Amino acid sequence: MSSTVSPGEPPFREGFAPALCTVEAECDGGRPIEGTHFAGRQSFTGRLTGHYRDYGPYPWRWYLLASLTRKPEGFAQDAVWCDAASLYLVSDPGRTIEEVLPTE
Amino acid sequence: MNNPLHTPLCDKLGIEYPVVAFTHCKDVAVAVINAGGFAVLGEALHTPDQIASDIRWIRERIGGKPFGIDLVLPSSVPEEKTVDELLAMIPPQQREFEQQIKRKYDVPAPKIAPDIHHWGGLDQKRALDQLEVIFDERVPVFASGLGSPAFLLKRAHELGMQVWGLVGKPRQARRQIEAGTDVIIAQGFDAAGHTGNIGTFSIVPQVVDAARGTGVPVIAAGGVTTGRHLAAALALGADGVWTGSLWLTSRESDVNMPLKERLLEAETEDTIYSNCISGYTMRTTRCPWHDEWMSDAAPAVLKPPLQMILSSNYIQGSLDYQRKDLMTEAAGQGIHYVKEMKPAPQILSDLVEEALDVFDRFAG
Repeated sequence: MSSTVSPGEPPFREGFAPALCTVEAECDGGRPIEGTHFAGRQSFTGRLTGHYRDYGPYPWRWYLLASLTRKPEGFAQDAVWCDAASLYLVSDPGRTIEEVLPTE
Repeated sequence: MNNPLHTPLCDKLGIEYPVVAFTHCKDVAVAVINAGGFAVLGEALHTPDQIASDIRWIRERIGGKPFGIDLVLPSSVPEEKTVDELLAMIPPQQREFEQQIKRKYDVPAPKIAPDIHHWGGLDQKRALDQLEVIFDERVPVFASGLGSPAFLLKRAHELGMQVWGLVGKPRQARRQIEAGTDVIIAQGFDAAGHTGNIGTFSIVPQVVDAARGTGVPVIAAGGVTTGRHLAAALALGADGVWTGSLWLTSRESDVNMPLKERLLEAETEDTIYSNCISGYTMRTTRCPWHDEWMSDAAPAVLKPPLQMILSSNYIQGSLDYQRKDLMTEAAGQGIHYVKEMKPAPQILSDLVEEALDVFDRFAG
């Protein structure tokens, strides 16, 4: 596992957790919708790449989910960043990623 | 018989009635709080400075009572593009269809550019900047309207704040309860806007089961507009209700008058779950934009956020020129029961009285 801090932009620390590489996961995702005060829920299934980003001082961790086998209709990208708490491992959906595969 | 409306949520908040008003209007929030309910102000679109200003405005008017602020934390984010890049991605077929609709219904051009053209997306950085204000102001309740608030719980609790999470699936509730979220809002498909696909009557008891023995109150959301809904939610095991559409037409609401009239006229069937507004499926009141995009002549709906870019001029034009015939607004299936423009305290009082009548009837 590695982690680097970028001076200035971008506003996150990047890292890589090899233990998560190719692990299958689902994401109960979604995001605010531009120009509205609403949010859209979106569901994804794919495989984690092991890459992560930490935002803010908490930190707020996000993992990259790629090789998507399920994504919303019209979702053009092949990968999506997912909030760690919204990810569910297909092999053990009852536990968080940190519980199953400690990354730090 | 004890007061059936006095639930653990009332004790947790120090409120009289277990009714939460979710609103984007500060006047509605203040009116509901001062009448004995609770209010959560939706601030997702606002800058940190605007949020701070709104918090102070509310605090000056509620005499130390608690209140909440709702932000929409993202939980999945694709790579971002600039608005210019997005505009260039709209195919000619969909652009021409948008123009056809405008010509057919004489849709006026907006007076000002819709937000999307100068705002861009809400990403993690923006959410974090908004959260700093919530922490600085030590808002009594922070409600996350979408993403999990697990990452911020420790800091919020150290500051004495409550953190609420709105969920659309039982497993999201279990995950958030385990993380330490203080209150779970179980939102059903009946709700306004972008919901999960489980109905309120199905998701609420499942989330109540998930919370059993944890002391975490559950609030029912989605289609709640009457005292019967409130009584039913409590019968399902919820500790209160989360209401949104109910307040859109209140006298205090800043929703413009023709849109209020449109909402007062709306029936349940006039709310429609479609992706033609934003590219995401969401429940809004039906309008000509829906009719055209659901017709055989319509091209494919574009992915978010391109579809929102297409619809934003239509929506803003309808609002700027008060074209009731064109207007649409997010509204839940309970809109059928919203038929009068009443003061918010009266709405709350009517809700409570009807719920008490239900319980009296069952008590014999």
